[in-house]
Formats: sequence, structure tokens, C-alpha cells
Amino acid sequence: MSMERKIPIEERLNSNAWDVDERPHIRIKDPDQCRKCDSKPCLYLCPARCYTPGSNGTVLFSHEGCVECGTCRVVCPNDAIEWNYPRSGYGVQFRFG
Amino acid sequence: MSIKFDAIIVGAGPAGLTAAQRLASKGLKVLVVERGRKPGSKNVYGGRIYAHVLDKLYPEYVKEAPVERWVRKERISFLTEDSGTTIEFETNNVEHKSFTASLSDFTEWLGKKAEAAGAVIISESPVDSLVVKEGTVVGIRSGNDEVYGDVVISAEGINRLVLERSGLAPKLEPQMVGVGVKEVIKLGRKVINDRFNVDDDEGVAWAIAGFSTHYVPGGAFIYTNKDEITLGLVIYLGHGSKVDVPVYDMVEEFRLHPFINRLIKDGQLLEYSGHLTPIMGLNASPPSLYGNGYLVVGDAAGFLLHGGIIIRGVDFAIESGRVAADAIIKIHEEGGKYDGSSLSLYGNMLEESFVMKELRAFRNAHRALDEPRLYNDYAKFINAFLKRYFDVDGTPRKIFSTFKETKGNLTILDMMRDMTKVVTNL
Ligand SMILES: Cc1cc2nc3c(=O)[nH]c(=O)nc-3n(C[C@H](O)[C@H](O)[C@H](O)COP(=O)(O)OP(=O)(O)OC[C@H]3O[C@@H](n4cnc5c(N)ncnc54)[C@H](O)[C@@H]3O)c2cc1C
Ligand code: SF4
Ligand code: SF4
Repeated sequence: MSMERKIPIEERLNSNAWDVDERPHIRIKDPDQCRKCDSKPCLYLCPARCYTPGSNGTVLFSHEGCVECGTCRVVCPNDAIEWNYPRSGYGVQFRFG
Repeated sequence: MSIKFDAIIVGAGPAGLTAAQRLASKGLKVLVVERGRKPGSKNVYGGRIYAHVLDKLYPEYVKEAPVERWVRKERISFLTEDSGTTIEFETNNVEHKSFTASLSDFTEWLGKKAEAAGAVIISESPVDSLVVKEGTVVGIRSGNDEVYGDVVISAEGINRLVLERSGLAPKLEPQMVGVGVKEVIKLGRKVINDRFNVDDDEGVAWAIAGFSTHYVPGGAFIYTNKDEITLGLVIYLGHGSKVDVPVYDMVEEFRLHPFINRLIKDGQLLEYSGHLTPIMGLNASPPSLYGNGYLVVGDAAGFLLHGGIIIRGVDFAIESGRVAADAIIKIHEEGGKYDGSSLSLYGNMLEESFVMKELRAFRNAHRALDEPRLYNDYAKFINAFLKRYFDVDGTPRKIFSTFKETKGNLTILDMMRDMTKVVTNL
């Protein structure tokens, strides 16, 4: 993959080794909070674009591609996220770190 | 499981594994519980390790450890959209002070050292919580399993869910941490040697401020491994609301900056990662670093020295793991109990080590580093100044008038104030 161009984040995440659990380790437990959340920091600060804008001010979450950094749980001002590590070694497998 | 361990360690990072190696080598029965598939598979950093601690603890590292390149050149740049000002320091002394390495490889190596000393490492097991009985930590819980130990070390890193869930650390606040995003790009050894002007085993450590984070407090970095470079940035989350593009786009804009892009021509992306990092040193420590039945080491304890240009976490993690182990060994040999008062030995020994000496000296570093002008006005000013100064066109350019012309919104008073902050706190 040549680097002198924009590479969509999904494509960049594909360069990683993965073993994604079908069961999500993170979820938005209170979608109402997202509707009321003006700044939506998760959209800007998640390094893996797991949070994307939905309709009517909602936010959609997908755990695929999550690099397990913990940023979303720290920046969400409304405590709307339930956050766990993936079980049994699932998730991203860093080879360089 | 019904076996009882002398010590249980949560997290197989540099801190936990050093404690494990040390404890096991003294004959203690040690269990390390790690959530990843193997030590190293969940760890992320920027790129270089300061070797002073290894000289003492793992002297064989020179031959054995997965060193990539010895850092011979230090660069600091202030970058704008169209200009850049760089300071480069280079030394001819073949002093081995710091080296670049893959943290996954390095952590895996520490894991082998701990196992060779007799520690048991259980992988693929996220610890959910501590087991607490009558106010004393007596073990850990992972799924349906409980394992008991005389003492538990939290070496779980900065995203310290276990401590939080046990009420031993408050929830992380945005201003305590930064998020790092990083790309590993393969270039090949010869290309790196040519483009960075280094010999085979020599490396570059490079800190870049300004445009690289869209002028938001934080900074970007580039390190050279043997065959690949690591390129990334850290954003202080306390300033997260100032970020105008998602961080995954920001790191890409940095990579595509003309001055950076030409260095990675024909490169190939090998990995994309993200991780939190503590940025306030001791101000992000849990209220207590030890208590009945437990102690805290490494990033989980806030032991990271963030001096703006220099970021040191691995050596602090290793040293605090070493100190924790030595305190436990002493209490173990005396047949003592691990309560808050006996474990204060850990606190005292930390004060004697470079961990507390250095972290206390830099206790207020974040006050200086939290100043948005450092990343914005100054980065722009220094480039505007030099651009104007070097732009010879027949009109006189005296230094002071060029300074006044290019300083933008900065007042002399701001500059004096910021200078004082930097000089007194860093
Ligand atoms: C972007 C970035 C750049 C950095 N650059 C540098 C640098 O160049 N040089 C430097 O010295 N430092 C650097 N650091 C800091 C350095 O990475 C850390 O200080 C160091 O890794 C801390 O070691 P640790 O053992 O305390 O924690 P970690 O390395 O974070 O290890 C913690 C371990 O615990 C495991 N774990 C966590 N929770 C659980 C759980 N509940 N159950 C089981 N296991 C768990 C994790 O999987 C992990 O293996 C950087 C950090 C970042 C984010
Ligand atoms: S920051 Fe929290 S509340 Fe706001 S949109 Fe994101 S998940 Fe929802
Ligand atoms: S943990 Fe990190 S990568 Fe995963 S969803 Fe949250 S912010 Fe995104």
C-alpha cells in the first residue's frame, strides 16, 4: 500500500493482525445521551473511526477496528459508554506496538 | 484454581514483567495475568527506550534484547503548513544511551526473561476486578475464576480499569491523558540510512510540534527502526475539543506534509495503532500507590515523564517494577504481612530511586506544557520570523523589526511569562 496518498482509515486498520470477537466489548448504553451531546468528542478522538454520525443526532458504534485504547470512555462527557476489554485475547494483535 | 501465589501481577507490560522476573528469581511463586494473546500483543508506544535501567537490571540486554537502532540523532521541529524549523543534535560518542525498538518485541523478550526465572504467565485473561476481603486485596477475578495471592501488583497500564473498579483510582479525566496514534511504515534499511543520513545501527528520534497536531497541545514523533519508521502523534485530551479533524485524519495529514511525505516515498504501511498515555506525571497517580495487599507500578501509577520533547515511560515502568519486587522480597523474607504500613517500604524505596526523584522534579511540567501558545503561536512565529529574515529582497531586515513584524498575536509580556513557566517547570 503506497503511503503518499490518503488511505481510508478502514484500509489502514486492515494492515493490522486481528482476531475480532463477534461479541462487542464496548457499547453505547444510553443513545439518548448522544442525541443531547453537542460536541460528540468520540467522533473526533477515536483513532479507529468506530463512532460515526447516525440520523437525528445519534451516533453509531462498531467495535470492529477498535484498537482498545480507552479514549472514548475518557472523553465521553455523558458516561454513555459501557467499556470492557475484549475477552480471551480477542481483538487487535499488535506485531510492532 | 486453588493454588495460592506469593504474588499476582495484573498486566504483562514492562513494569509487571520486571517485577515478575525479579520476584521469581528470588524463588517467590509468581503469577502474571495478561489480557493479550502473549506479552507484547497489546502494548503500544512511540519508539525508544532509555537504556540506563537495563544496564543495571538486564545487563545481558546488549546481546539479547531486540534493539533496532541506537539513537545517534535527536531532532526537534516546529512545523507549519509551508515551513519548518529544525534543531538537530548529533553526537559522535558511541555512548549507548537509548535505542529504538518495537515495544511488542521488547515486551515479549521481557516475558521470556520472567518465565526463565520461574514466573507463570497466563495470557488471554483480562482481569475484571480485585478480590477484596475485609479491606485487604487477596486476589484477582477473571471471568468465573478467582486466584489468590499474598500480594497483588497492578501493572495494568494507564487504562486502569481494575483499579477504578475496585475504587482504588478515580475515573481517568481527559486532562490526565493524551491519545497517541501511530503508523509503522516499512522502508528498508538502506533507504532509512540514506534518507535520515545515518549508518546501519544508528537511529533518529524526532519530535515535531505545530501543524502536526493542528496546533493543539500534544506533539508528533518519528523514530527509525532498522527497516521501518514509526510515525505518530499524541493529542492531550484536555484540549480534545479544539481538534478540528478526527485524529486518524490528523496523523495522515502529518504523514502527507511535503517535508514528511518525501521521507516515506514507496513506504508500505505495516500497522496502525492507538493508545492512551499519562501526561501529568504524579498528578495522575492514584490517591495511594499501595495499600492492604496491593501496590501499583508503571503507567497505572502515573510514572511517566513527559517533558514535551522527551517521553519516558518504559524506563520508569521497569524501575518501579524492580522497586516493588524488592520491597515485596524484603517483607517476604521477614515473614511479614502485606498491609498498608509494611508496604510503605515500597513508597520509601521509590523516593530513593530515580522514579520519584525525577517525577517530583518535573511535577509541574504539565503546567508549562499545557500552554496552547507553545504549540500554536510560537511554532508559527519561529517559522514566520525565519522566513522573513531569510527572504532577502533588498529591503532592510533587522532582527528586531522582523521580530515585531512576525510575532503575530504574541505580546512581549506573553513571551516572558511563557518563558518563565518553561524555565521553572521543565
Ligand atoms: C504514543 C505513545 C508514545 C510513547 N513513547 C514512548 C517512548 O518513546 N519511550 C518510552 O519510554 N515510553 C513511551 N511511551 C510510554 C510507554 O509506552 C509506557 O510508559 C509503558 O509502556 C508503560 O509500561 P507498563 O508496563 O506500565 O504498561 P503497559 O505497557 O501499558 O502494559 C500494561 C499491560 O497490562 C495489560 N492489561 C491491562 N489491563 C489488563 C487487565 N484488566 N487484565 C489483564 N491484563 C491487562 C495490557 O494488555 C498490557 O500488556 C509512549 C506511550 C504512548 C501511548
Ligand atoms: S461522546 Fe458519548 S454521549 Fe457524546 S456522542 Fe459520543 S458516545 Fe454519545
Ligand atoms: S477504545 Fe479507542 S479505538 Fe476503541 S472505540 Fe474507544 S476510542 Fe475507538
